[in-house]
Amino acid sequence: MKGQVLDASTSEPLVGANVFWEGQASSGTITDSDGRFSLPVLNIPTQLFVSYLGYERSTRLIQVRDLDKLQRFYLKPEDFSLEEVLIQERRGDEQVKNLELGKSSLSMENLKALPALFGEVDLLRSLQLLPGVKSAGEGTAGLFVRGGSADQNLVQVDGAPVYNASHFFGIFSVFNPDGIKKVDLYKGNMPASYGGRASALIDVSLREGETTRLSGEGGIGTISSRLTLQGPLLGEKSNFLISGRRTYADLFLKLSSNPDIKNNQLNFYDLNGKASFILSEKDKLSFSSYQGSDFLGLSGQFGLGWKNWVSAVNWNRVNSDSSFFDLQGYHSRYSYQVKFDNEDNGFDWNNSLSESGIKATWTRVIASKSTLFWGVHGQLYHFAPSDLKPSPNNPINRKQTPGVQGALGNAFVGLTREFTDKLSGELGLRQGVYAQLGEGKVYQYPGNAPTDSDPSDSLFYGPAEVMQRYQGLEPRIALRYMLRPDFSLKLSYNRNFQYVQIASNSSAGLPIDRWVLAGQYIRPIQSDQVSVGVFHNFDQNRWELSVEGYYKDLQNVIDLRNGARILLSDQVETELLSGRGWAYGAEFLLRKNKGKTTGWLGYTWSRAWRQIDGISRNEAYNPRFDRPHDVSLVLNHQFSTAWSAGLTFVYTSGQAVSFPVGSYVLDNQPVPLYSDYRNENRFPDYHRLDASVTWKNPDRGRKWKGSWNFGVYNLYGRKNPFSYDFRVLYNNQVNYSPEDGEIVSTRPGVVMTYLFTFLPSITYNVQF
Amino acid sequence: MKKTWILLLISVFLFSCQEEVFLDLDQKEGRIPVIEGYWTDQGISNEVKISLAKNYYDSLDQESVRDAEVFVKELKTGRKIAFRYLEATRSYRPNPSERAIVGESYQLNVNWKGQTYQSEGLMLAPPILDSVVWNYEKDRPFRGEGYFIKVYGKIPFLDNNQYRIRVIENDTLKNQREDYLLFDDTFGLQVFEKGLELGYAFQKNDRVRMELYRLNKDAFVYLSQLVNLLFSDGGLFSPPPQNPTSNIRVVSGKGEVLGYFVVSPVLTRTVVIAPK
Repeated sequence: MKGQVLDASTSEPLVGANVFWEGQASSGTITDSDGRFSLPVLNIPTQLFVSYLGYERSTRLIQVRDLDKLQRFYLKPEDFSLEEVLIQERRGDEQVKNLELGKSSLSMENLKALPALFGEVDLLRSLQLLPGVKSAGEGTAGLFVRGGSADQNLVQVDGAPVYNASHFFGIFSVFNPDGIKKVDLYKGNMPASYGGRASALIDVSLREGETTRLSGEGGIGTISSRLTLQGPLLGEKSNFLISGRRTYADLFLKLSSNPDIKNNQLNFYDLNGKASFILSEKDKLSFSSYQGSDFLGLSGQFGLGWKNWVSAVNWNRVNSDSSFFDLQGYHSRYSYQVKFDNEDNGFDWNNSLSESGIKATWTRVIASKSTLFWGVHGQLYHFAPSDLKPSPNNPINRKQTPGVQGALGNAFVGLTREFTDKLSGELGLRQGVYAQLGEGKVYQYPGNAPTDSDPSDSLFYGPAEVMQRYQGLEPRIALRYMLRPDFSLKLSYNRNFQYVQIASNSSAGLPIDRWVLAGQYIRPIQSDQVSVGVFHNFDQNRWELSVEGYYKDLQNVIDLRNGARILLSDQVETELLSGRGWAYGAEFLLRKNKGKTTGWLGYTWSRAWRQIDGISRNEAYNPRFDRPHDVSLVLNHQFSTAWSAGLTFVYTSGQAVSFPVGSYVLDNQPVPLYSDYRNENRFPDYHRLDASVTWKNPDRGRKWKGSWNFGVYNLYGRKNPFSYDFRVLYNNQVNYSPEDGEIVSTRPGVVMTYLFTFLPSITYNVQF
Repeated sequence: MKKTWILLLISVFLFSCQEEVFLDLDQKEGRIPVIEGYWTDQGISNEVKISLAKNYYDSLDQESVRDAEVFVKELKTGRKIAFRYLEATRSYRPNPSERAIVGESYQLNVNWKGQTYQSEGLMLAPPILDSVVWNYEKDRPFRGEGYFIKVYGKIPFLDNNQYRIRVIENDTLKNQREDYLLFDDTFGLQVFEKGLELGYAFQKNDRVRMELYRLNKDAFVYLSQLVNLLFSDGGLFSPPPQNPTSNIRVVSGKGEVLGYFVVSPVLTRTVVIAPK
């Protein structure tokens, strides 16, 4: 019997690997300098074992026909296993000893093991399983972190912001899981080097390519396919990774018998790439780019498309063992287009916004117990005019909103210090100076009250002229005290200012949502958060336990007045109401990172409030995402090298909503009557169980490895409401309308829409 | 338009289902009066309906208030125009010879059970309605197939451009939420000169009556908010539902009032769709 033992990741021969027949370890052999071996055959079929220090052991059943050819065994380095990757990224006692409060990290290996809607591994939806993170509703990827709105989260890819991180109106997030290395969620303490949003930072890192060989992976799923290629670029000192994903949801449309749906288009794609260059022993340069687009087409005439294009360049320099420098530049652009091809009624409506930035960070280790970092971050916002152009025969006027610009300069400094063996802290300051810049026009209103009266005058500003200026100092403090080696207490205080926000009052984001910059009538959001937490590891760091509490105060949050028309208005300020918000809660997390069974159990009790004059009779109300109780259970189990399974269970309080308190007749039709107080009712509690099973093809030494994933979303078919519609029911039927024929009876009714009950999916993944 | 996308999105996955449910709904204390007043230059259009709001699951029948005192006051002269309750129309109506005069301001007054409700409006000049034509159109996206009516006219005003067209098809007011035809000058008013197409597909021999109103802004805002509310499906993409902001206020007594008051010129045309 002849064979060869090779490294699975590099295909390089392994010298000195042990090879022996089952039960005869003492009479085995070792591989030579080419990784080859020769072993006498005694009794077959029987198992052959191949082992090598630092690599996973390989076992293969050898039959007579296998003796004719050279058998290749590819051994995987042990640090390719899930547990080892986690150990590399986080020390076992990391959560107890670090200064991080309200931070969660997930590796893509974690995420890929979770059951997913349509089998699509989704980064943002997976974060909803963490304590303190709420969802707006069934199937949506928007995140509401510790009582903050979705636009108060900074979602960034390799340091560059993404303005609309969702596909399909929020059902999926824009991140192709194969192109991502990990995601860090900061919901409490944020280092002074980050800022710009009031509630959370979702920091996504793209993967780098391998430097040794060209490899790839991909998958064919229920609604999309993926392909990733990576490898060396110009020798071993540079590498690339390019990853793409494309949906074919249009196929589902074809299944419909309704021609109005059948002839439509609905698809999205993502493309991200990264190239890294080791310029010298001290310098590394990397380029990252993400582009993604959605398109919805109706009847070949109407189209809605939206697109993100995000690029970043990062230069990391190691000046010495104690001195580092990072320079980053980025540009992020988001645009959408709505088009109706029709000679008489057609139009073409375009809008885009962009942010460009440059950030420099210096880090100096002062002695062994202190680290100082400081830097500057400049940001330039450009929100282009929203432009609706009618077709030549369409008699409506062209409509343009004015464009708007803003510049934000930040300086930050932070010190991390180990004061005593038990007490450590991070003290940071961030100073932002913001200016809304011309060219532009600002309407003036009597009493400076845009919502109460028509403009009395307007002021014009020239290009780059300062229209409005704001500034804010943002202190950041984090302290950790070790009560025991495995038990710590942490405290933090954070202030953030946010100078851009979405003017909307629906809970789920739309691609045409209007972002507005701080100006004369829109003040920046100010967020102040205090958190406290206890962290405990036990059973040799196999288990992590944390309990965190927080209180967050938000100033200058906006909402819309009744019937506001935002999208094409050049007087947005007349449609906005402003007020304050606050949120508080306690988060419990028990997590197991090692062993065959991993996962976590999370429970959050929290409340979120808003008080905005002009809404709910000026009294405090709960936003829709206020869901006081939130339980999530996530489990993964590795049954064998081939079989693994994942399970998630979520249970949350229902969304806060307004139900009618009566009805009345107006214009000869019934109209639901609502209370003046907002969101005093609740949907029923939401719960759902998802499960998945993964089967990996045993390593047979082939150049490629495949795996199948079978999943079921909402295993027990819970009918969680998506919406309640209060309307007249004709002939006691939910979907009967007067156009359908004779009306026998009419009465008021409530129609519940629910999505996704027992939704199976299948995905085939391959690595080569 | 937004609605279309969302409906499509939900239907895309073919995994959405609907069923009727019964929710335990809160009830409003007391019964709130609902006033719907029209004061126009057409005697037949002038009426005030007063009814009472009820619990959501109660029958759809309207409970009319028959014992209120209703009048419209001409603000310049102080002259009161009395309205009397007519059982046939279940509304309060004035003498048919009474009508609004362009340029005058009017005040609606309703006294009922110790409460007084008021609202004001200015009678605006009517636009020019030239002609109404219809044509058969083959199936078009978002429109369907059938006879479509175009209205031609001219709007010579620089301000107060808020309009509503009410369409009555074979004696039935088109009042489904997608039927409301409200427009202002946001996108200019040339559309009226070049032919404003009513978005309904009519059938052969349909008798169609159109009424064009020029509304005060508060009444236009009320109706716009009403349409928004009728479209609210309680889902994530809908704004939180709110009652339309009434332009009627309670001036004495306690409680609330719902509804709206319109002072407007009315231009009407009636056509019968007869194939050419």
